[in-house]
Amino acid sequence: MQNLFVFVVLSISGVWATVPRPRGVSISMASFYTPGEKFRCLDGSRTIPYEHLNDDYCDCQDGSDEPGTAACPTGRFHCTNAGYKPGTVKSSRVNDGVCDCCDGTDEYSGLIECVNNCKELGKKMREEQQRVRLLQEQGYKTKLEQINEGRKKREEKKAMVEALEKSKIQLETLRNEKEAKKQEVEEPETEAKDKHKQQWEEVKAQREAQAENERINEAFIKLDANKDNIVDIAEIMAHSEFDINSDGEVSVEEAKEHLEDAEQTDPAYFAEKVWPHIKDLFKKEEKEVEDPGAEEPKVPEVMDNPDYDEDEEEEHDEDEHDDEDEGDHDPYTDDHEHPDELPLEEENKKGDQEMPEYDEETKKLIEVADAARAEFNEADSKLKDAEKELNDLKSYLNGDYGPDEEFSTMKDQCYEYTDREYTYKLCPFDRATQRPKGGGSETRLGSWGHWAGPETNIYSAQKYEKGQNCWNGPDRSVRVDMTCGLENMLTNTYEPSRCEYVFEFSTPSLCTPVPADSTRDEL
Amino acid sequence: MALSRVMRFGLRMTSFPLLLSCVLLVSQVCSVSRDNFKRCDQSGFCKRHRAVDPGHSPYISLFDTLDIQPSQISVELLNTKNNVRLRLELFGLQHQTTRIKINEVNPLKPRYEIPVGDVLNAEPQQDTLTVVEKNDDHITLSLEKSIIVLNREPFRIDFINDDEPTVSINAQGLLKFEHLRKKKEDSQEKKEENEEEKASCAEEEVQEEDEPDMWEETFKSFHDSKPNGPTSVGLDVSFPGFEHVYGIPEHAESMALKSTKSSDPYRLFNLDVFEYELYNPMALYGAVPVMLAHNEKRTVGIFWHNAAETWVDIASNVADKTFFSKMADLVKGSTELPQTDTHWFSESGIIDLFIMLGPEPSDVFSQYGQLTGTTPIPPLFGIAYHQCRWNYNDEDDIRNVDAKFDEYDLPMDLLWLDIEHTDGKRYFTWDGSKFSHPDEMVKNLTVKGRKLVTIVDPHLKKDDSYSVYSEAKSQNHLVKNKDGSEYEGWCWPGSSGWPDFLNPEVRKWWASKFAYSSYAGSSKDLHVWNDMNEPSVFNGPEVTFQKDVLHYGGWENRDVHNLYGFYVHKATMDGLLERTGGEERPFLLTRAFFAGSQKFGAVWTGDNMASWDHLKISNPMILSLNLVGITFSGADVGGFFHNPDAELVTRWYQAGAFQPFFRAHAHLDTKRREPHLLPNANMLAIRDALQQRYSYLPYWYTLFYWGERNGGPVMMPLWVEFPKDKSTFSMDDQFMIGKALLVKPITEQGSTGTNVYFPGNDLWYDVESFQTYNGGDTTYVRAGLTKIPVFQRGGTIIPRKMRNRRSSTLMKSDPFTLFICLNREGEATGNLFIDDYHSYNYKNGKYILKGFNFRKNVLESVTGHKDYQTDEWIEKIVISGFQVQPSIAILKGSVSGQKELEVNYDIVEDNIIIRKPGVNIAENFKLILQP
Repeated sequence: MQNLFVFVVLSISGVWATVPRPRGVSISMASFYTPGEKFRCLDGSRTIPYEHLNDDYCDCQDGSDEPGTAACPTGRFHCTNAGYKPGTVKSSRVNDGVCDCCDGTDEYSGLIECVNNCKELGKKMREEQQRVRLLQEQGYKTKLEQINEGRKKREEKKAMVEALEKSKIQLETLRNEKEAKKQEVEEPETEAKDKHKQQWEEVKAQREAQAENERINEAFIKLDANKDNIVDIAEIMAHSEFDINSDGEVSVEEAKEHLEDAEQTDPAYFAEKVWPHIKDLFKKEEKEVEDPGAEEPKVPEVMDNPDYDEDEEEEHDEDEHDDEDEGDHDPYTDDHEHPDELPLEEENKKGDQEMPEYDEETKKLIEVADAARAEFNEADSKLKDAEKELNDLKSYLNGDYGPDEEFSTMKDQCYEYTDREYTYKLCPFDRATQRPKGGGSETRLGSWGHWAGPETNIYSAQKYEKGQNCWNGPDRSVRVDMTCGLENMLTNTYEPSRCEYVFEFSTPSLCTPVPADSTRDEL
Repeated sequence: MALSRVMRFGLRMTSFPLLLSCVLLVSQVCSVSRDNFKRCDQSGFCKRHRAVDPGHSPYISLFDTLDIQPSQISVELLNTKNNVRLRLELFGLQHQTTRIKINEVNPLKPRYEIPVGDVLNAEPQQDTLTVVEKNDDHITLSLEKSIIVLNREPFRIDFINDDEPTVSINAQGLLKFEHLRKKKEDSQEKKEENEEEKASCAEEEVQEEDEPDMWEETFKSFHDSKPNGPTSVGLDVSFPGFEHVYGIPEHAESMALKSTKSSDPYRLFNLDVFEYELYNPMALYGAVPVMLAHNEKRTVGIFWHNAAETWVDIASNVADKTFFSKMADLVKGSTELPQTDTHWFSESGIIDLFIMLGPEPSDVFSQYGQLTGTTPIPPLFGIAYHQCRWNYNDEDDIRNVDAKFDEYDLPMDLLWLDIEHTDGKRYFTWDGSKFSHPDEMVKNLTVKGRKLVTIVDPHLKKDDSYSVYSEAKSQNHLVKNKDGSEYEGWCWPGSSGWPDFLNPEVRKWWASKFAYSSYAGSSKDLHVWNDMNEPSVFNGPEVTFQKDVLHYGGWENRDVHNLYGFYVHKATMDGLLERTGGEERPFLLTRAFFAGSQKFGAVWTGDNMASWDHLKISNPMILSLNLVGITFSGADVGGFFHNPDAELVTRWYQAGAFQPFFRAHAHLDTKRREPHLLPNANMLAIRDALQQRYSYLPYWYTLFYWGERNGGPVMMPLWVEFPKDKSTFSMDDQFMIGKALLVKPITEQGSTGTNVYFPGNDLWYDVESFQTYNGGDTTYVRAGLTKIPVFQRGGTIIPRKMRNRRSSTLMKSDPFTLFICLNREGEATGNLFIDDYHSYNYKNGKYILKGFNFRKNVLESVTGHKDYQTDEWIEKIVISGFQVQPSIAILKGSVSGQKELEVNYDIVEDNIIIRKPGVNIAENFKLILQP
């Protein structure tokens, strides 16, 4: 059927030699295929006539009798690929009409004419190897710097922790002293203030009683239409607010009821019996008269507006992303601040009813206490600052920045990559986010989780987890695949499954030193 | 892809009020999807037909109007209740087939009939009807071996074969034909008119009282204006002597149809149903109104040739028996013949019924194939493995998936692109930033024999700068509202219009869009997928067109609904044929379908779910499709919605490897699940399943050849091969692929084996271990994660290709291994069809048909047809089931001459292996084995 042998001319250490061997066999394996002798399958399972080698029928279970055909499902075909690197392809790639070896030796049945492009590939490969070697070398230099920097950083932080731990003890002592002092002076201060307040409450109560009397008098005078110092049924009937059953008029019975079954009342009886029951009705009447618009539904109106405006605003946003016109926000803001203003104004009206200043003695006490409080607060916040700093340092020191701290330089940094639609941001050891290019809010794709490379190379990938939940899907997450590069850089992003992102990140931290002669042995 | 996308769609919308309404819609869809679709009691004509009182048919045959022609008779039927006359035409057709048409004698306007040449291949050829007897009561006719009796009063037709009734028409008296009528304007007028009429002539049409929903109907918020009033038609068909009926897909239902006594009728109305429910009669994406009835003696079939919404009620005197009457039968012994009664009703059109009288299953298949056509042989790659996902994101993604299949040695023939590949869901375009070099991308696939499939849906984005839409609009090619204005609905691109595919001119226009010059980036290696062609309209009633939407010729969607997807499919196929001048066989997939859709390509069961019960139901669903001619069919491997675990994916691949159309597909929201991403053990099991599929491609291909020639399924119930074996009649968890392979896919979680029923009397051979099983037994077969229970029938020969290539195209010249499994008599037969695997040249005779016979220790290879040259040869012959092992094999080739071959005995598998016959597959030879 097909030629059993290929005669391969090879250049080995400058000496030309011809090694006959079955098609698809490498030089190193040639000795197992001795012409004229029976062939023993390489797994030892059986022995077959030499003619059955490469006869396009699979005799050996391990495929070793058919190195040059597609007959065996488990076989391998060796291509010499002179000028490039030698390789093996699966037997199923032989004579299938696809050129898999650059020297084209896998296709000899005539299904396809393959062009030998090993030389080109070899050249490209060497160029690529050179490029990678340079990249690795240069990157590795940076990596060494990063390692230094990272180690230094760790040492510094460690030292800072030690120092801080010490000063923290001092700060604690100081704080406690100041606290005791504060408590000491606050006691008389509170006492004096309470006393002052109590006195003021009493004054206020007196004033209130007086005011109530005035209101009663006023009311009586108002009701006493004929000024005879007596209010009678007829006078009550003249005031529509006493219409209990709201039938449009105040009946005798209703009036009587307001007078607590009396026919009339003098000021004393009025103050004691009548006033407490009609107080609320009367007040309401007064208000209505004073402020005729009070019952108009002002508030709902305000509530309607923002909805409407919000809509408009949203549409506006969609159309002109960057146009954050402040005017647009006004109705919204009004809505929120308006209700707050009302009580404030009321308080202001009551300004004249404010508590009088403390007496001089109390003021002094307060002054002393204020000073003590200030001192305490200062001590306390210093301690808190120290504690926070300490926490930060410790959390840094708990982090895993690679076996040699080489990844530490990317901590507290952020890297961005923009594609057609989004700008992606990676802040290593913290978070990954995305925001629409045209503006809009940021979406958290994940928070720092853990190193996620394969067991043999765990520092080649990072995982960011528990990002914002996807509608009808999982929480967003990101895997960051890292490769050697001259600088820390986010180079690409994609989303292979919905809401599962992959970032490609280049970093010197993954560059390794290259053995000097590594490109040589490939030939 | 179903309505679920509405949700995504909703979320993409920008303005608040719309978003809100969509979210509301979504929650509705999620919780009560079923409520979005009509029940019978929400459909006026369904209620009216179900209410017909059986046993009191008002119809009599008016024998004085009888017209007898050589192969057809015609007679008028009178409705004695309203005096409306119908005309019955009965045609004797060739191949034991009869056609019955019933229409009004004088309709107010024409009623819709499906044009000949589309669903029906041609006007069916007629056969002689002979009048055997004629008297006042009935007329007896004969057609080939069948007797047909037409009864006068009440009207009724019985078909009698071998002295036994097989099919009866109107035996239950359910014929109801809603004649076209004028709307009564108001009750006052109506009365007067009535009185007037009564006075004038007693024999004139009697006005019947209007029933509810006759002149308008409302479902949810949708109003159906019904300008023509009631137009429905219905008829009962009984199958005396038959307990089992099959067919009328598409339903998520067992293969043997159930009695609908306590459920809705089976509904045929093409709909996009989100996350469809299993085991119920709800309508799905396609409709084939074809039913088969089978018993130990014969198989018959009927074809209800009507494109309107149709419901089918099924009653069975066996299935509907109460517990007590069953007990009584047991005690007394039942003498009652089993009988299945069916009741068919459609919203409009005419009654046009084909009766196919068998008697063998294969006869019914070929009788139906004569009417609507058979599945043409797909290109070889079409029956290989398809890798799909919504969506592969860009060219890099495609390149990467392609490379991974090679890296893991997983064979694959096609990669698919879903809607996201387009420029804003404008079909025939590419998203320029993600797919800027489609030609290069396709070329990268074709060097390895692979192809690309892109989606082309029928909705067109309403965007005047989108040329396909603007052309359709300017040329008046779009579907119209009832007032004649352009119909507008919502689908993936947002506001859309739909081409009027009922119009032949529109189909021509659509086909022209597939020209290479028109569809940039397309080539002969780019194939197509039609989705959403029910059509799916997100904001329409039941997610589709309103019934009063207007198509070509002024026909309402009510009249033609189930044909829309059929014509989308047909027009697309026309386009794919035209682009190569009819030389290359294209691959084309559709979701919506009708009777006859098999002519245009593959069908899949729509948006299923990643669950074990959906895996399980894929078998009966595909079996039902195969029984009614849609043989090139399959289900989404892995399940479309949700995330399957690795075991489910693995088992699904194993099932899919033995179903006709084999495609993995997944929803946008699911995790990636390409085989190489699964745990290694699962990946290996899937690789094994894929390689098995590829090794059997010659067998599948040959089955499709026979399918095109004779009609009939490729994946089929056991009863098709073992028609007298009653225990197989409702068996749908195991099936046959052709005559030679029995398959029982594992569909249970955690299963390590299954009980397999081995039909017939002969031996069955496990295709991997060659362990034998006896026919007639039910045997537990172990099936760990890597095992697919597949058995070759004793007495068969299957040619396989055992070299694992990257795609089927690369196997073109590979040699065959013949697997011969002997029966108890030491005999076996098989055959093989070979051509160039991709062109239509086989239609010009450019093919090879080989027969293989093994008898008395001699294998003979004979030629049935040979007008094609091939490099393919025979590398190995494996023979199982020898009583006495031979040791010498002599090959006598007609060309290559005589030679002795090495005979090896495989002690583990108990096979003998003939080493390297080496003859070209086309060569005739004898292989003589001697002790």
